Amino acid sequence: MHSILYLHRAGSIVVSISAFQADDPGSSPGQRIQQKMEAQETSQENKSLYDKYYKFLMLIPVIVVLFSSVYLFLFYAKHQDIMLKDTTLSGGTTITVLSDVGDSKVKILKDEFSDLVVRKLTDSKTGEIIASIFESSVESEFLKSRIEKTLGYNLTNENSSVEFSGSALGEGFYKQLITAMVLAFLLMAIVVFVLFRTFIPSIAVIFAAFSDILVPLAVVNYFEIRLSAAGIAAFLMLIGYSVDTNLLLTTRAIKNREGMLNSRIYHAFKTGILMTLTSILAVLPAFFIVTGLPDSFRQIFLILAIGLFADIANTWFLNAGLIKLYCEKKGIT
Amino acid sequence: MKIGLRTWILIIALSLALLAIAPSFQKGVLIKSVEKNSTAFNEGLRSGMIIKEINSHPINNLEDYTRIISSLFMNTSEKIRLDIKTSDNEFIFYTNKPLEITISGIPKTKIKTGLDLQGGSRALVKPEKLLSLEEMNDLISVTSNRLNVFGISDVTIRPVSDLEGNNFMLVEVAGASPEDLKELVAKQGKFEAKIGNETVFIGGSKDISDVCRTNAECSRIESCYKLQDNTEMCRFSFVVYLSEEAAKKHADITSKLGVNVTEYGKYLDKKLDLYLDDNLVDSLLISENLKGKVTTQIQVQGSGTGKTREEAHTDAKENMKKLQTILITGSLPYKLEIVKLDSISPLLGQEFRRNITLLGITVFAIISAVLFIKYRKIKITFSVILTMFSEAFLTLGIAALIKWNLDAPSIAGIIAGMGTGVDDQIVMIDESVSNVQLGMKERIKRAFFIILGSFFTTVAAMIPLFWAGAGLLRGFALTTILSISVGILITRPAFAEILRKIQE
Repeated sequence: MHSILYLHRAGSIVVSISAFQADDPGSSPGQRIQQKMEAQETSQENKSLYDKYYKFLMLIPVIVVLFSSVYLFLFYAKHQDIMLKDTTLSGGTTITVLSDVGDSKVKILKDEFSDLVVRKLTDSKTGEIIASIFESSVESEFLKSRIEKTLGYNLTNENSSVEFSGSALGEGFYKQLITAMVLAFLLMAIVVFVLFRTFIPSIAVIFAAFSDILVPLAVVNYFEIRLSAAGIAAFLMLIGYSVDTNLLLTTRAIKNREGMLNSRIYHAFKTGILMTLTSILAVLPAFFIVTGLPDSFRQIFLILAIGLFADIANTWFLNAGLIKLYCEKKGIT
Repeated sequence: MKIGLRTWILIIALSLALLAIAPSFQKGVLIKSVEKNSTAFNEGLRSGMIIKEINSHPINNLEDYTRIISSLFMNTSEKIRLDIKTSDNEFIFYTNKPLEITISGIPKTKIKTGLDLQGGSRALVKPEKLLSLEEMNDLISVTSNRLNVFGISDVTIRPVSDLEGNNFMLVEVAGASPEDLKELVAKQGKFEAKIGNETVFIGGSKDISDVCRTNAECSRIESCYKLQDNTEMCRFSFVVYLSEEAAKKHADITSKLGVNVTEYGKYLDKKLDLYLDDNLVDSLLISENLKGKVTTQIQVQGSGTGKTREEAHTDAKENMKKLQTILITGSLPYKLEIVKLDSISPLLGQEFRRNITLLGITVFAIISAVLFIKYRKIKITFSVILTMFSEAFLTLGIAALIKWNLDAPSIAGIIAGMGTGVDDQIVMIDESVSNVQLGMKERIKRAFFIILGSFFTTVAAMIPLFWAGAGLLRGFALTTILSISVGILITRPAFAEILRKIQE
């Protein structure tokens, strides 16, 4: 019942189809043949299109990565740093007041503290604003007393949260997290080399992980999101996520030799895209559905989401093309 | 359908995790702390006991307790009778004020949530110089003494270090305000021993050259005996070595004192009072033979009490250690700086907890829907969901077992780990249905190559986080590694087995 169809086409490209639907016991034999024929035609079409355009597809992520690099370079020139840091990394105070502080009062405070950043936290169910978050580089008591004065009531443990980080500590944290990121990246690279033991495919996987970090970093910088310590941890997590799909692609294309290269890439794509999509769907609700979450939490998920999107292009446009070129050169079909 | 070995392992692991998490449906309120030497303490109420009834009114939760206590004491200043029934004992009090205890609801599970999810204050304290392990332990005892003296309970203090080799002390308190914490932790401890109004010596190396702490010859529990009211008492003593200067001062002051004769022996008519930051923490009787004598060696005695001998012994030991720590390190020879001070409102924490639960359910629902749409097979979808759930549950079980405080990054780690878990299962499903000319075993083996590869890369990426940033993000790394390890070792093999059964 597990039938495989080989279809010979001009140019000696062989396509194999072993679509999942073929195993579906729920469909009648007639239907199954019908489905198979359809699958055959579309994949035939896809693959010829893929052969024609894969080099073009490879260009897209390359351009995105180049663009991100240039952007980050300019960003660095402007801010003397590769990211904007929140108070946990640069030192300063974050005060969360459990009420919706009106715009007029926010304006008074903003006039007083030039670097004050104000955000609001909304309730997931009602959409009401449940808290206002104030961030500034000043000492906690100073900011607290000014907010109290403007609001007209005292901030207690019950109605507010106050978080203060000394600037030396923040700086130390930042340095260490960057070190951690570099270390994580190197460790990952070692693992990848040990797994494949071939140069080009390993470099391709490592490069994909690199651009998976670069692109979201450029995006969060563009939106002027101030990163927290937890946000940087998300970049580390991204390294793990990024390698998943690339590993799948490389293993299926190079290590397994059943079926033809294009079809192996195509099958890897079908599996990989589902993996990435479920991961994206797992992290997105933190923005659109459940909103009343700690900041550290939302930042982790935001960075993962952007990184996963970048990963789709990096893996299936760029890396797939690289692997295809590599295999053709090495005579792996 | 026969259940295979790997599935059994999963079932056993899940049961163990359930035991570790152990949801409690018990009613009542939990005593978190009892003020020392209060009526409640003397009658035998202790932290950890569960109050079930007060004056025959059932106490099911905090609200019941507050309501009944306030109604009892609302319009009376007379002593009233309180019958308190705990889960395994009964106590009777005659008192005119509410008991000096702090209480909380009974935790429903053994899962501990971090400060950012339950509210409280946290201070990261950096000594100005690099401390040795011993010095750090002293600092921690001094700090916990100080917090105890000021009646702050529910404190965790632990040393942390970071990638650059700095060491810190992390103090977390569920109740206190950040102001209190700042005051108590950062201010130098001031220790004074006074007779009357005159200071004899102060803590630290200037006046006290050494305190005998570990040598049983000069630091020990001397004797235990029963008191008239049937409680037990143990006495301790240890030797303090004073500097010449302090010894002379001691001789000067004591030479002017008179002698009292008591049932325990002859003592001077004034006591040696020990003050910590101007609070009297202890008063010691001065034996007659020390009068006017220049001695660099003085013996400090004290006692501990309890309902049983064991309790009294422990109490005496604790008191002795407290006193020794105060004497030797009363004022720290280095400055402390609070480099991070956070206080999280419990209300906000509650809101976060509610939303995280909601998020978990949403993520489960979305992933189930996607997988069902893709595979159109209820069995496959169901086994993926079951595996995902098992991974999260087992991770929580381990966290409860090692008493890990789950903060927001830790929970983000669990969700991220679940994401990789689903990815792995998709690989397995797809490998199992492709390349059908290969045996099922071979196909699953190939899936495991990818899964192991991604496991090792994720672990490699997470390891540096254990040390970066004073370990404040350790939770994220820990839960991620835990959940993918649980995946590799327990759930993935079971899933492979289930998948084989489904496909056969």
